[in-house]
Amino acid sequence: MENKRQSMFEFFRGFAAIAIAILVAFILILICADDPGKAMECLLVRPIFSNGAINLKSILTIFARMTPTIFTGLAVCVMFSANQFNLGGEGAVMLGGFVAALIAIYIPLGAGVHILVAILAGTIIGGLVMIVPAVIKVRLKASEMVCSLMMNYVIMYVVLHFLNNVFADRSKGATQSYPFMSSAVIPKMISNTELSWGFAIAIIATVTVAFFMYRTRWGYAIRMIGINESFSKYSGMKVGGMIVLSQVIGGMLSGMGGAIEVLGRDNTFLWLNLPGYGWTGITVAILAKNNPIMIPFAALFISYLNRGCELMSIYAGVPSEMIDIIQAVIFLFFAAEHFLAGTRQKIVVKDAKEELQKKEVAAAGEGGNK
Amino acid sequence: MSDNEYVVQMKGITKVYPNGIAANQGVDFHVKRGEIHALMGENGAGKSTLMKILFGFEQPTEGEIIVNDEKVSLSSPTVAIAKGIGMVHQHFMLVPNLTVAENMVLGMEPKQKNKLFIHYKKAVEITEEFSKKYNLYVDPHAKVRDIPVGMKQKVEILKALVRGAKILILDEPTAVLTTQETEELFKELIHLKEQGYTLIFISHKLNEIKQITDRLTIMRSGKSMGVYDTAEISKEEISRLMVGRDVVLTVEKEKAQPSDCILSVRNLEYTNEWNKKMLDHISFDVRAGEILGIAGVEGNGQRELVDMLFNLSVPDRGTATVNGKSIIGRPQKEIRNLGVSLIPEDRMTFGIAGAGTIEENLMSDRAEDKKYNNGLLFNLKAMHEDSDRLIQDYQVLCKSRRQQVGMLSGGNIQKVVVAREFSSEPVLIIADQPTRGIDVGATEFIRKKLVALSRAGVAVLLVSADLNEVMELSDSLIIMNNGKITAYFEDTAVLDDAMMGEYMLGIKQQSPEEIGGVVHGK
Amino acid sequence: MFEQLINMVFSASFGYSIIRITSPILFAALAAVVAEKGGVVNIGLEGIMMISALFGVLFSYWTNSWIPGVIGAVVIGVLVAMIMAVFALKLKTDIILAGIAVNLLGGGGTAFLLYLFTGLKGNTASMTTPNMLTPKVHIPLLKDIPVIGQIFSGHSVLTYLAFLLVFLVWILLYKTAMGLRIRAVGENSNAADSVGVSVLKTKYIALGISGALAGLGGAYMSMYYSQSWNIGIVAGRGFIALAAQAMGQGEPVGAMLSSLLFGFASALGNKMEGMQGFSSYLVASIPYLVTILGLVVYAMSTKKKIKRFRENAK
Repeated sequence: MENKRQSMFEFFRGFAAIAIAILVAFILILICADDPGKAMECLLVRPIFSNGAINLKSILTIFARMTPTIFTGLAVCVMFSANQFNLGGEGAVMLGGFVAALIAIYIPLGAGVHILVAILAGTIIGGLVMIVPAVIKVRLKASEMVCSLMMNYVIMYVVLHFLNNVFADRSKGATQSYPFMSSAVIPKMISNTELSWGFAIAIIATVTVAFFMYRTRWGYAIRMIGINESFSKYSGMKVGGMIVLSQVIGGMLSGMGGAIEVLGRDNTFLWLNLPGYGWTGITVAILAKNNPIMIPFAALFISYLNRGCELMSIYAGVPSEMIDIIQAVIFLFFAAEHFLAGTRQKIVVKDAKEELQKKEVAAAGEGGNK
Repeated sequence: MSDNEYVVQMKGITKVYPNGIAANQGVDFHVKRGEIHALMGENGAGKSTLMKILFGFEQPTEGEIIVNDEKVSLSSPTVAIAKGIGMVHQHFMLVPNLTVAENMVLGMEPKQKNKLFIHYKKAVEITEEFSKKYNLYVDPHAKVRDIPVGMKQKVEILKALVRGAKILILDEPTAVLTTQETEELFKELIHLKEQGYTLIFISHKLNEIKQITDRLTIMRSGKSMGVYDTAEISKEEISRLMVGRDVVLTVEKEKAQPSDCILSVRNLEYTNEWNKKMLDHISFDVRAGEILGIAGVEGNGQRELVDMLFNLSVPDRGTATVNGKSIIGRPQKEIRNLGVSLIPEDRMTFGIAGAGTIEENLMSDRAEDKKYNNGLLFNLKAMHEDSDRLIQDYQVLCKSRRQQVGMLSGGNIQKVVVAREFSSEPVLIIADQPTRGIDVGATEFIRKKLVALSRAGVAVLLVSADLNEVMELSDSLIIMNNGKITAYFEDTAVLDDAMMGEYMLGIKQQSPEEIGGVVHGK
Repeated sequence: MFEQLINMVFSASFGYSIIRITSPILFAALAAVVAEKGGVVNIGLEGIMMISALFGVLFSYWTNSWIPGVIGAVVIGVLVAMIMAVFALKLKTDIILAGIAVNLLGGGGTAFLLYLFTGLKGNTASMTTPNMLTPKVHIPLLKDIPVIGQIFSGHSVLTYLAFLLVFLVWILLYKTAMGLRIRAVGENSNAADSVGVSVLKTKYIALGISGALAGLGGAYMSMYYSQSWNIGIVAGRGFIALAAQAMGQGEPVGAMLSSLLFGFASALGNKMEGMQGFSSYLVASIPYLVTILGLVVYAMSTKKKIKRFRENAK
């Protein structure tokens, strides 16, 4: 919305949604924590400040943890912009990470090239798997949502099969693959932290997606199709192709996110389950209102809360799954169009009246000059 | 028994919508008990609004309504039904997968002794009872999606009757019926009349009105033109009252110098899903430098014709070419590449993406052009320049090109649509109701632009229900009735309102030779 | 290997497995059917099942009996569905997003709630007692018939309820006034509105019934199938149910047949897991693959049907 007052209102509405979520968390903490005050402090303050000083390591961890959700958030952003409810991010992340891991383990390449090829492979395979729900939607009009959800499980089991039965490192106690070659590991941005250069790639991806969505003819078509498909068809856009493209791009971003997370965090493939970044990505995209530039900020916010819940679980004994409850509440209120709609209506009416008054004054001014 | 011969009296009804449009202005509408009363008028005359008020869908801004000697406030359809008013909608309010009996009792389902289950047998009995009583044969067990249109309508009528309606409003009931079904319907309506029911019959079909109605009220431009005894008024007089302009708008334009045929339509045929032939051997040409208007009461095939020309629908038979290349069934991008532009009737669904910016809407047909792309990225400078120029040239009143298009007034939204469609250097412009529902200023502007383009050599096909527009703006015009072209006038200057009315309402029809004049090529 | 497989498929115990595995999917599929009939898409089935599964165990733990557990699961299912309904119908959240939010809640929120109520982390295996599980029913006479008895007798009381519900849901939709209104509202809400039926109220009721059925599905998982609750217990059955509803043409009997198909695929996968030469993981993916295939086949046949219909009409 152009109008300043209305934009501020939207900001306030988002703030209210978050406030309600924190309130819900507070009530739950009151019930289950031995020391509610300490728990709240862990949740809200401790991620940055602990023991009276700024905890740099914690902050860097927050940044590191937001890397994969930036990618999945961008993926959802692109797909939801085209009105495609493809929820296959989970599977694409896992598959992308696994394929990148395999290249990191078994295909020796030169130092820089190795990383790039591994990430590229993960990206491409992520895009390829999304072709299935996309084409099914465009050609057969069947739900891309159910299809993509099923694919998540299929991918998970296929990856687990290969991990356990083909590529497992038997020398280790837990199920995992062999270690990556050092040439394939993404170096840390700051040593002794979790933060790898993957974070920088995530920021680059954000800018790239923003440019793509708002400065290229394909992003433009994707957005227009999401706003009004009939209009787009009538204007001559290739609707079917763009719908498929939006989902493939979503898959590529998710795959890339998975590859970067796997190569940047540990030195072997450790996921025994769908990692969950896909679902968080949806929350991030909703918070960012599908605007690519806002994705890192939304991811930061969620990562901060996530860290808070983690700390709360370590130091105050409150289970870290609180983050899911907070996410769900924010989600529901953020996406509710009519949340505080009464107030919004009053603001719109007030604006319209003011515009009218301005015009009348201007007209009267002219009339007086005649 | 009341002395009052009038069962419904609507006095001084005025309805002004929030956007300022006055759909009804001081309308008096009185219906006698036990008569069949026709409510006539072109689309936009105000008859639908008046009946929406009578059935409680809308509230009047001013005026009073008296039903059965009681002053009433019809605040909702439920209240209207309680007062004995029933409506048979033009677009049936039926649930296709439910049976006829189920549709009949929806909302008032008879229960079995155990109070849990529907007494289906009773529902069937009620349906059969009413069906027999009113001579409206329906099959209670059939699913609504399987029964023919004629029967669907009978179910609609029975639905109203079973809820106690004594006054029935029938909204364009014969629009979806074949001749055979229409005859059947009329028998049933007369039967109802004999049993003391009052019927209000909305239509513009003169033959039918003459056949079964007792009196008729004519509406035009939101006002009532009077009530007349059907037997005592001629079709020509009705036509003159119904179709006419209060103010004749003259449009300044030089005489047309049409040259080559740009659009050639040959023998277009189309039967719709209700088995009605909407296009019956339509053939015409539109030449460069002329504005060809299509006049006619809405619902006679104009909608379907425009859809075919932009591949929103496909005909059963026939061809349509632009400069020799077919446009039937082609993707919209290819049609546009051939130089065709369309101003759609439904501007919110097809014309704009409401949540998008003005610039995004202006560029929607040309986002792929080399002019606006530097390799992968947009050439924003060129885009911004052209958008601003278009906004200025077309006088779009807005804050900037970044404003959301949906926030603009109707007239300005249409100017955005027109700016886009006119600026693509078209050879053919199809304008479908281009000035409907927009302010005077925008209307004048768009018409001027259309004329200017025409004189510069563009072929224009103008479909409009606005009499002024179609008579004054067009150089030549054809009239469509029942899916056929029934008249062609090479020079609209010879036309007057009376003639228009007579052709539009089917009272007169030209010979095939005269009509064939609109085909200039092979 | 294949001979072994064939022998196994045609055994009575396999038939028993199919019914056992189908039941939770059937509950959820019926939930999807009722919601869809009322014109509201219930994507949140997975989340509702997870939450109801947890509360089923909790209630039965607190009362040391399975009956309050099942009732509690149903009540919670309705409650969650109502929350979804308020956000979707009143606050105008996109109903699909509301469903995703419920799934998010069910994902981690349940682990949190478990801790909140019991202090346990992760699963309830340590607190489950036999009283808390739904009892098996051995049908007299039937259980003694060879083969048939082995297949159809000895299931949980909820299993029989699930298949009975196919019939009951059918009766609800096609024999009661509420069912008529649900179907009318879902198909043409204008028509319903024009005769005075409250569209909003009817949609709330449809979602409520959907929530109750999903609640039963959740109870089945934690109080019988897995004999305890843990976070991975539902494993996508709520989503498979959506496909089952679509393939079953949105009808109770159709949904039952589709659910049986997935039950078959699942049972097959389970049995193959134990056998030589079949990877347990690949085999676990069979039901999900079958779902995608089912969707594709169904969509293709619908497309052909529409095409034929249009050509005949001309």
